[in-house]
Amino acid sequence: MVSPDIKKFDTLVVGGGIAGLQAALDLGDQGYTVAVVEKDASIGGKMIRLSKVFPTLDCASCITTPKMSAAAHHENITLFTYCDLVSLDTDESANGSGINCRIIQRPRYVDPVKCIGCRQCEYICPVHVPDMEQGGLSAKRAISIPFSNAIPQLPILDIEHCMLCGQCEKVCPTNAIDYFQQPEDMMLSANTAIVTTGFELLPVKTFVQYGNGSIPNVVDALQMERLLAPHGPYNRVIRPSDGMEPDSIAYVQCAGSRDKSHGVPYCSRVCCMYAIKQAMLLSGSLPLADITIYYMDIRAFGKGYEQFYQNAKAMGIEFVKAKVARIDQGDNGSATVRYERQDGSGTASQDHDLVVLSMGVVPGWNPEPICAVSKSTDHFITSIKPKISPVLTSINGVFVAGAAAGPKDIVDTITESGSAAMEAAKFMSNSPRGN
Amino acid sequence: METMDTDKAAKKAAMKDLRAQRKDLIEAASLQMKKQKKDIKAIEAFLTGRAATIPDIAQGIGLPTDKTLWYIASLKKYGRIVEGSKAGAFFNYALNEPANNTEQEEV
Amino acid sequence: MEEKKNKVGVYICYCGGNISDHVDVEEVRNRALKLPDVTVARTNMFMCSDPGQEMIIEDLKSGKIDRVVVASCAPSLHETTFRGAIERAGSNPFIYEHANIREQVSWVHHGDPATDKAAILIASATAKAKHLKPLAPIHVDAKRHATVIGGGIAGIKTALDIAGQGIDVTLIERSPLLGGQLNSLGQLAPYGDHASDILKELIDQVTGHTAITIHTNTKVEAVSGYVGNFSLNLLKKSDPENIPLTLDTGAIVMATGSVSYTPFKGEYGFGQYESVITLPELIRLLKANTSSRSMLEVNGKPIKNMVMIHCVGSRQIPGIHPPKENGTLNEYCSRTCCSAMLNAANQIRETFPETSIYEMYRDIRTYGRGQEELYMQASANKVVFMRYEADEPPEVSKNDDPDYPLQVRIKDGLTFNESLTVPADLVVLATGIEPNDVTNLASQMKLPIGTDRFLLEVHPKLRPVEFPITGIFLAGTCQAPMDSGEACNAAGAAAVKASALLSKGYIELDPFVAEVDTDKCQGHGACVEACIKEGALTLMEVINPDGNPVKQAQVTPAMCLGCGACAAVCPEGAIDINGWALKQYEDMVDAIVSDSVAV
Repeated sequence: MVSPDIKKFDTLVVGGGIAGLQAALDLGDQGYTVAVVEKDASIGGKMIRLSKVFPTLDCASCITTPKMSAAAHHENITLFTYCDLVSLDTDESANGSGINCRIIQRPRYVDPVKCIGCRQCEYICPVHVPDMEQGGLSAKRAISIPFSNAIPQLPILDIEHCMLCGQCEKVCPTNAIDYFQQPEDMMLSANTAIVTTGFELLPVKTFVQYGNGSIPNVVDALQMERLLAPHGPYNRVIRPSDGMEPDSIAYVQCAGSRDKSHGVPYCSRVCCMYAIKQAMLLSGSLPLADITIYYMDIRAFGKGYEQFYQNAKAMGIEFVKAKVARIDQGDNGSATVRYERQDGSGTASQDHDLVVLSMGVVPGWNPEPICAVSKSTDHFITSIKPKISPVLTSINGVFVAGAAAGPKDIVDTITESGSAAMEAAKFMSNSPRGN
Repeated sequence: METMDTDKAAKKAAMKDLRAQRKDLIEAASLQMKKQKKDIKAIEAFLTGRAATIPDIAQGIGLPTDKTLWYIASLKKYGRIVEGSKAGAFFNYALNEPANNTEQEEV
Repeated sequence: MEEKKNKVGVYICYCGGNISDHVDVEEVRNRALKLPDVTVARTNMFMCSDPGQEMIIEDLKSGKIDRVVVASCAPSLHETTFRGAIERAGSNPFIYEHANIREQVSWVHHGDPATDKAAILIASATAKAKHLKPLAPIHVDAKRHATVIGGGIAGIKTALDIAGQGIDVTLIERSPLLGGQLNSLGQLAPYGDHASDILKELIDQVTGHTAITIHTNTKVEAVSGYVGNFSLNLLKKSDPENIPLTLDTGAIVMATGSVSYTPFKGEYGFGQYESVITLPELIRLLKANTSSRSMLEVNGKPIKNMVMIHCVGSRQIPGIHPPKENGTLNEYCSRTCCSAMLNAANQIRETFPETSIYEMYRDIRTYGRGQEELYMQASANKVVFMRYEADEPPEVSKNDDPDYPLQVRIKDGLTFNESLTVPADLVVLATGIEPNDVTNLASQMKLPIGTDRFLLEVHPKLRPVEFPITGIFLAGTCQAPMDSGEACNAAGAAAVKASALLSKGYIELDPFVAEVDTDKCQGHGACVEACIKEGALTLMEVINPDGNPVKQAQVTPAMCLGCGACAAVCPEGAIDINGWALKQYEDMVDAIVSDSVAV
């Protein structure tokens, strides 16, 4: 087998979410060359899929798209999207240039050079598939661009659901459809790496007390983000089961967080604030709806967060100190929330038209066995100096930022990414071996 | 001209191979597509000349309400259906007039 | 310049509903198309996205347009985004004008008036855009030197990071000691690192660094200049002659830190009963304590029951909490106290098992890694938790029991909201974080301060460590409460921005500055008198084309603020602001008052 050419960079950024993009931009602006490797078809990570963000209520796209665009057009930044990281080897004896990685780009079945993003293929495709970018709540075509502000604007052909009917190939004005496209193997080398692999939510289907995902109108927080987002599945907030505008919406906090027996023992850090934010957005779009947040502690600890929380209370959002024990299917598409009051006065239940689970945050990527960077019992990557430089990992020249180093909101992520870029730059300035 | 023809023939043969390789997937996808086509036709027929809510459409064509919404959401995304007035806690949906096709939202 | 017809393209953003929920964007587009000189008008869900930018680039490249108007959010957010797009199309970035139809329209108006106003602002921007001419950014040399104000952990880390990029740094600390607040801390939450070890490691590095100059005992008296060329006047307290030191620097990082809140007299018995102390005082006691007894001792007295009250001077609510004498109220959460309290409680319970602890809280905010574990550990250590509401806080009063000089009454939200009384021989208040008062320095540098009295960044996500004044950054707890690791992250983020700015050795500034028309200038000097920025305008002797010496005004572009005070007073109309000429203002006003677009 002929080994592919090795592309050389100063820094390899693993993960093209907001953390990775910020780190790449901060390094690129200093003249370092950066490769950003992203598993999804578009950069932007979780943030580009959100509605608005706390505490300023800016639309997530308004903050993310320009950073995505800046990274995509940066002379020092190269994007590798739709890529799997196959190996990442660090050779610490190699004078600070010891990172070698192999990535495989999955086939889009579309020639990226020929495609002009006109979407004719998408419009003509006869097969509908669940749109996971919309939490599966609506359908897209078997060939489609991931979402409207995706970068790059290249469609993906879902080969599992393709009939090979040839309509997309026929309609494409630039002959960009390639049913024979193969995975592309690439080798990258770099002096430093920054791991920004983000987070996922605990899957609802593993929580029997919440109905394993089988109760209609019980959604997770990221699905709710889509319901609230401008490009959402319905362009308004209605119940997935029947299109009804909900009159009563509940938030179940610490769903799988701070819960040693069923979920993860730690606090997921962002759920209090996004629940409050979503509740505020809901009371804007559905002014007559009752919104209840079941919680143990409200953790509004960041700049401007406490004031945000107090505003939500003043808006009439109801905060109930209680632990939700289980959820059952109710009548007419409702869900029954059974909870235990924190003051010791026992249990109660309440029906809601729509229930949002603030599911716990878990790492988006397990470095094992690809990268020997050390993790803690919570499975997130650890810092060797959490009080001085939270971005330093156990491997010299490998840094971490954002939710890969523990649940984190966007503000803290962006700051941490700058810090990781700084440490990487310093490491390269002090080469051969940093200090 | 001759090379073009051989290219074409080669491509044809390759496609044939590919189809054979993916036989099962293609069959499943075709079945799914046919069902979808039927469902969408039923929705379009039901909405011809009227607007209706998800429960009404679902009842009218014998599909579950969640699946009906799933189709409606997608048809709306691609401009085939538009959202109309509110009826109680639900929204009415109607076929989009051809003159009003907003498939490409730009320009 | 001869009036050549420019072709203006207007690009209107839906902003994902932010604008289009209130403004009829398509209607605005239709009206824009009718404006004179507008050749193209387009809309997009997110104009700042790649497909949106691509439309502008295509139109420029194809020659359909040669001036660009974008109607979207505030220019502070995406002006650079669109200038970048125009540059990528091979055009001059300054042929672009912005209409803010979000903050100035859709967020404040609704319905038809919103649509009308959006159309008017676009008409006005278009009128201005017609007269835009290609400009070149002002190139100024930047001193490869940064100054960090504040020698706490954030300041030290910032200095080390910038110096690590080969840039000289001066670190200024007001007190005799580096280390700031960390000097008064002990074992840190959640992992138990010692503050002194952390400080020693950092201070050893910073004092040993050849590129870093440290001035302790030094105050910043005055700041002047502009990005790349700031000048600071320093005053060393140890200098008996008070000779000010001048420091030239390219960038400034504010790392001026914070102090612990001091309760007012009588707040939970503070200043009234000597057994009421603050958390920093408790930490100091714990650091000094070498007792091997099984009960914590304070001032020689063993402590049997210790009550810890959370949120003192934090999360204050107007109408419930009285403001301090200076009128301030701390509505924010101080972020670090919950973990610090639990950490201290665990230390005490594990070292002095016979000291009982009651923690009275509103919400336990152990948000970070390792912190929830502290909370669980405290429960395992049999710390008793009681929960109170902001409007019914615990009451500390004198107790007649000689064993317990105090008692704390609380309505406990964890036990049927019953009123309970805890006898106590020590009450510890979790006092929050307040920013150091830097109003004087901030007003000199024109740095914004938030309603919470912390220094205010441009935008928490877009530019979290920057001020609107180019070349000045912020890091650490002068911005918001943070723990040590978070402050160091902020320091790194500020350092990376400062390094990127200074690494090239020059800086490009916006060219919106005054320009003198030498054909018209008669040397009256009215502009020089009107100029509000010293050094920006001078009257110089020049030789005119006839060979005679005459006086004429001359602009120093890097100093000019572009305020236009000069343009307003020139009797000859010989001085104007590039990009903001009088003619442009006139046409904008005409467009606003004409009813061409308002239906």
